[in-house]
Amino acid sequence: MYNLLLIVPLLLVYLELSSNFELSNVVVGLLIVSGILLLIRPRRRPMAWHRLPSAIVALIKYVVILAYDLIMSGIQVARIVLDPALPIQQGIVAIPSECESELGSALSAHAITLTPGELVIEMDEQGVMYTHCLDATKSEQYVAEAQKMRRDLLEKIFS
Amino acid sequence: MNLFLQVIAILAVVVGTLFSVVGVVGFIRLPDVYTRLHATGKVGVFGVVFLLVAAAFGEPLGWGRGLFLILLLVITGPATAHAIGSAANRIGLPRKGAERDDLVYTSKSKS
Repeated sequence: MYNLLLIVPLLLVYLELSSNFELSNVVVGLLIVSGILLLIRPRRRPMAWHRLPSAIVALIKYVVILAYDLIMSGIQVARIVLDPALPIQQGIVAIPSECESELGSALSAHAITLTPGELVIEMDEQGVMYTHCLDATKSEQYVAEAQKMRRDLLEKIFS
Repeated sequence: MNLFLQVIAILAVVVGTLFSVVGVVGFIRLPDVYTRLHATGKVGVFGVVFLLVAAAFGEPLGWGRGLFLILLLVITGPATAHAIGSAANRIGLPRKGAERDDLVYTSKSKS
C-alpha cells in the first residue's frame, strides 16, 4: 500500500525531468516507476518531524561547506599539476572517523574522496580512514578539526 | 536575463574545459597510480560537472536533468576512485617518494 502511494511523487519527478506530458510518456513513466519500486521495495520508516528543520539547516550548511572545499582544493590540485616543478608531497594520513554509525563513516569517506587531492584507499574496523593525500604535510590538528565538523553535521542530518 | 544566463553558461563551459585539460595533463605528468587517480577522478569529474552546469543554464528545460546527472556523478565518482586506489594498494603498487605512510601493510597485502 505504501509503495502504491510512492508511485505518485516518483511519477511527478519523472514527468518533470523528462518535460513531456504526452500520454505515452506517462505510461512509460508508470512502468519505470513501478520497476524501481519492485527492485528497491522501500519500507516506511518513522519520521522525526520535529528534527526536520535542524536537519535541513545542517544539510544546507554541509553542502555549502563541501562545495567550498571542492572548489578550493580543485584549484590547488590544478596548480600542483600545472606547476613545472610538480611539487607533490604524497603520503598516507590516518584519519579516525569517530562515527558511531556505518552510514556516518561511509559518508565521511565519501566526502573526503570527493575532495580533490584526498583519496580514502582503506578503512579498518575501528573506522580509521587511510587517506592518500597529494599534500601530506597538512597538520594533524587541521585534519582532525575538518573531520569533527563533518561528523557533527552528518549526525545532525541523519539522527 | 537571457543574456545573463548565456554568459554564465559560456563561463561554465570555459571552466569545465579547463579542468578537463588539467585532468589529462595531470594523468600524463604525475608519477604513480595514486596521484594519477587524483588527477583523473577528481579534476575530470569537476570538468564534467561544470559542463553540466552550463547545460542546465543554457537550456531552460534541461536544468532538472542536468542537476540529476550532477548528483549521480558526485555520488559515483568517488566510489570508482576509491575502488581503483584500494585495489592498487592491495596488490602492493609502490608510492613514489612518499613523505609519510601511516598504512604500512594491510592484512591482505601481507599474505
